[in-house]
Amino acid sequence: MPDPLSKRAALATPPSLARKIRGLSDRTIAWIFIAPTIFLLLAVNIFPLIWTIRLSLTNFRTNRPNNAVEFVGIENYRKILTDSDTWTSLQATAHFLIWTIVLQVLIGFTLAYLINKKFRGNDMWTTLIVLPMMLSPAVVGNFWTFLYQPQIGLFNYFISFLTGTDPASFSMIGEVPLAPWAIVIVDTWMWTPFVMLICLAGLRSIPSSIYEAAECDRASKWRQFWTITLPMALPFLMLAVLFRGIENFKMFDLVVQLTGGGPGATTQLTSIDLKREAFEKWRTGYASAYAVILFVTVFGLASIYVKALNKVKDR
Amino acid sequence: MSFSITEPSNRQKWIAGVLVIAYALITLMPLAWIIATGFKTPADAIAYPPKVIFEPSVEGYVNLFTSRSRVTPEDLAALPPPETFYDEIVRQYDMVITGPSKYGERFLNSIIIGFGSTFLSVFLGTIAAYAFSRFKVPLKDDLLFFILSTRMMPPIAVAIPIFLMYRQLGLSDTHLGMILLYTAVNLSLSVWLLKGFIDEIPIEYEEAALIDGYTRFQAFYKVVLPQAATGIASTAIFCLIFAWNEYAFAVLLTSGTAQTAPPFIPTIIGAGGKDWPAVAAGATLFLVPIMVFTILLRKHLLRGITFGAVRK
Amino acid sequence: MSSFIKGLLRLRRGPWEMLATILIALGVFMLMQPFALVLFTYSFIVTLIGTVMFIIVSHFPE
Repeated sequence: MPDPLSKRAALATPPSLARKIRGLSDRTIAWIFIAPTIFLLLAVNIFPLIWTIRLSLTNFRTNRPNNAVEFVGIENYRKILTDSDTWTSLQATAHFLIWTIVLQVLIGFTLAYLINKKFRGNDMWTTLIVLPMMLSPAVVGNFWTFLYQPQIGLFNYFISFLTGTDPASFSMIGEVPLAPWAIVIVDTWMWTPFVMLICLAGLRSIPSSIYEAAECDRASKWRQFWTITLPMALPFLMLAVLFRGIENFKMFDLVVQLTGGGPGATTQLTSIDLKREAFEKWRTGYASAYAVILFVTVFGLASIYVKALNKVKDR
Repeated sequence: MSFSITEPSNRQKWIAGVLVIAYALITLMPLAWIIATGFKTPADAIAYPPKVIFEPSVEGYVNLFTSRSRVTPEDLAALPPPETFYDEIVRQYDMVITGPSKYGERFLNSIIIGFGSTFLSVFLGTIAAYAFSRFKVPLKDDLLFFILSTRMMPPIAVAIPIFLMYRQLGLSDTHLGMILLYTAVNLSLSVWLLKGFIDEIPIEYEEAALIDGYTRFQAFYKVVLPQAATGIASTAIFCLIFAWNEYAFAVLLTSGTAQTAPPFIPTIIGAGGKDWPAVAAGATLFLVPIMVFTILLRKHLLRGITFGAVRK
Repeated sequence: MSSFIKGLLRLRRGPWEMLATILIALGVFMLMQPFALVLFTYSFIVTLIGTVMFIIVSHFPE
């Protein structure tokens, strides 16, 4: 407990002097507190980013460090953006992106709507449903290859139990028409809870007085859903969609463990394609240009995301 | 109990409950299957139809933690009788244990790197979040956006220059290198989450403390830190889970000394092809701690996964 | 619509951010669409312009 004398002395001292006595000024403290974070992010993010941009304008190859490094201008960018294989892997990414988002929003919103009916024990079941999303995608993805085994796999057995097809007759990760769906299924299994949680927050943010007013106006449940529930939950839904969109645009660990990009290049998403260029073919300059293209795209999407985020925060 | 006209009827609740529980049971099947497969014998694991009821065995765990080599039946007969239960299990397959496997080491690496980076990112994140929350910082919004955007970058794209940089600095495949990298990635999450938590602490508490003659530092660690303790703890668990689960950087930047468990578990193989019980045993030990943490975190889950945007 | 143009002329944040958002979305669509290689080729420049524009206009007054 400070004695009243020192308090009086503190009050009598001019503020600037008081600060000096007490120690550092707020401004200095602010910089001391922020500087390590900024420094670390500059060292691990910004410096490498600038290096990537520089490399992307050269023909540098990591596996041939003795070759002369030539400046090639935007040649790498031109090559990537006219390469039909790269285009194909972006289309594979688009297929993955669109279907995971559609399925996750449909299932996630439905689940949130049902959980919001507040049946007994809904908290416990919500927590259990969330479990898959918190686990390591690589480890879980690797185990899914076991579930997808023809005949002995649990997934194939489940499908044959439901439809009667022979469980040995199809291989989800080995066949060209099925593999893109195999990765969509696992991602949906893993990340639907994420969309569900955000939708649930959206539904819970709607004040019940609005529904009461609608009841008084004798609006049907159907009408209430389309005019109150959906529009009020929409900003949250947008947030979930953008977030999943960015995450799946750069998807790597889950899919590389599940299919490794195969069969052929059917599930070769951009990140896997980029990994091949950078760490298997070692075309570092070319891969850097590829990385810059992905950087800019994600950065653009992230700025839209932050805008949506602030909108939700303001509510 | 309040009865308002908007309260769902009992019948609605019943239907909703049944549907959600059905979804939960289906969605938990793969996880239950991982845990069950860990306790199967290799023969049971690949049986058709898939075995739901089986005699539990610890073979998967024995195979996970040991490396074994095959010996001829004559040599096996010449050996002294098995001393332990795991020797006995292994010898049924004409094998002897030659030493521990690498799983223990990789698991330890996961713990060292996970906790090291969590400690650093929460420490740096707390002080930065406090500064962002309480002081006027020039270009605050831009700095915060910059911090967040670092988290969204594709790991493979970031890994290209990091790979070259680490090779020159001698940081590749070291614990320090991985801890620094994960700290940087987690910092964005910890700054954003903790800023939200600190924003919620009324500024009056600190002002009162400052008037009482505390310095800024004292006010920070005697008033703000205790108030933010829950927030700091849940942020720490989120950072730990990220570092624990991370795969892309780990597989590209580590190969031995500092390799964590996620790139290692998929490479576990047995004598004849993939040893699924051992993989499942490794996965079980690796995943169960996270399941426990998730249940502990349930109140802060939404906040953590949305960078503090949605509070519940 | 006229208020949108007025906002653009007066360098207000809202409409400009909207424009940048549309450009980014268009760029991302061009990057991943399966229809024409030409669109793919020019997707990056569209996204880049949109992103740079977003960074600049987010400093405009409300």
